[in-house]
Amino acid sequence: MSAQTMISVGLLTLVGFVAGTVIFLASKFLPKEDKSLEEVARIKEFLPGADCGACGYPGCFAYAQAVAKDQQVFVNRPCPTLAPDEEGMRRLEDYLGLKANNKVGRKAVVHCTGESEALADYRGINTCQGAAQVASGHKECPYGCLGLGDCVAVCPPGAISINNKRKIAIIDWETCIGCGLCVSACPQNLIELMPANMPQYLGCNYQAARDIVGRNRCPDGCIHCKICVKVSQEGEVSWDEIKDLPAFDKECCLTATAAIEKCPRHIIKKTAAYRGDVSHP
Amino acid sequence: MSNLIAIFFGMALVNNLVLVKFLGLCPFFGVSKKLGSAFSMGVAVLLVIVVASAVTWPIFHFLLIPYGAEFMRTVIFVLVIASLVQIIEMTIKRTNLTLYNALGIYLPLITTNCAVLGITFINIDQAYTFSESIIAALGAGAGFTLVLIIMSGIRERLDMADPPLAFKGTPIAFITAMFLGLCFLAFRGIIR
Repeated sequence: MSAQTMISVGLLTLVGFVAGTVIFLASKFLPKEDKSLEEVARIKEFLPGADCGACGYPGCFAYAQAVAKDQQVFVNRPCPTLAPDEEGMRRLEDYLGLKANNKVGRKAVVHCTGESEALADYRGINTCQGAAQVASGHKECPYGCLGLGDCVAVCPPGAISINNKRKIAIIDWETCIGCGLCVSACPQNLIELMPANMPQYLGCNYQAARDIVGRNRCPDGCIHCKICVKVSQEGEVSWDEIKDLPAFDKECCLTATAAIEKCPRHIIKKTAAYRGDVSHP
Repeated sequence: MSNLIAIFFGMALVNNLVLVKFLGLCPFFGVSKKLGSAFSMGVAVLLVIVVASAVTWPIFHFLLIPYGAEFMRTVIFVLVIASLVQIIEMTIKRTNLTLYNALGIYLPLITTNCAVLGITFINIDQAYTFSESIIAALGAGAGFTLVLIIMSGIRERLDMADPPLAFKGTPIAFITAMFLGLCFLAFRGIIR
């Protein structure tokens, strides 16, 4: 072997050896990884991993960190996305050895039926955010769903679809994880999070009650007749004076069967959690 | 001193890593979709480039040249940079978890980034002194970060735009990169 070959082999061996030694020393003498990090990783295994932020922490990792630090976080505020999933919830409860409260998840509803006619042909930036900038959107009702799908784009599980005929966002409660990303994405503030056992919601967001012309803007608009409040027997429907629209009982989620039937515009819609006449047997 | 300033801006703007030297193109397109991640990636690259230059320069001048083994610089540099990134990642992971979460995914990506290796070669080819090569690395990293931030800003806006269907996504990004490269060509006249 020539001297050059020897030198090359020697140099490469030397550099490789030194580099390996330095890595070894670094792994030996650097402060050890937080033990809690492994715990966090294990808790994170149980979480859905959607990083939706519904729990109030920035992502599943941060939530797992908070739970690893203080398990009461899990008891008082279980992951809202995991909560409706009994099987997954049980596994995490078994692992932590705790029982969680507030297991009812949240689901999103769109307060609009999309029946309002289009006032003009909108050809701008193809988002609701863009359309809402131009004269409260291109639909006749200034409060209505614009149907350009800003909520569809942000929905982590893809639970929202747009009905192309009526141009309205439709949320599938089976897939909805209640993260609330669509709530902040909607420029019309039409989407609201409900308790998952809420049996009905209002399909209208038309707030300018005394605007008589407004009544005719949409065949499905609330006409503020308050019949729903009059027929309610146990206070399942009350009147929200600020929005000037009916509001449903959010605490125990009473079923407003009479109001659903009597509403002249039929805009009190049943949700997937509707179980018939439960509250008035 | 003026020499160092010239090297810094020469590396950052005139001989920009991405747009003029065509190094580090994969992160340029891969990580330039969101402003936040583009910034993290840029800072991580800046850090690694500077440390890699600081380590490879002495190795070349005090180890390879005396033994007449300059031809081995590629394999030696690759070895050194790969282990270097390992050590940096380990250090950050164990000392600052928040920083690790911010940079985490990007550090291993950089291990195989040609931009880092490219800068160490440029330092050798231009016969820079040690301080000059550190400044050159700083400039190159700053230029890389700058271009990544500009590109991500443009791409965030591009998502809003409504290009023909065939151009949607990466094709329009390529065309944008071309215009960006043309813009950076204008820096040619500043420093020879």
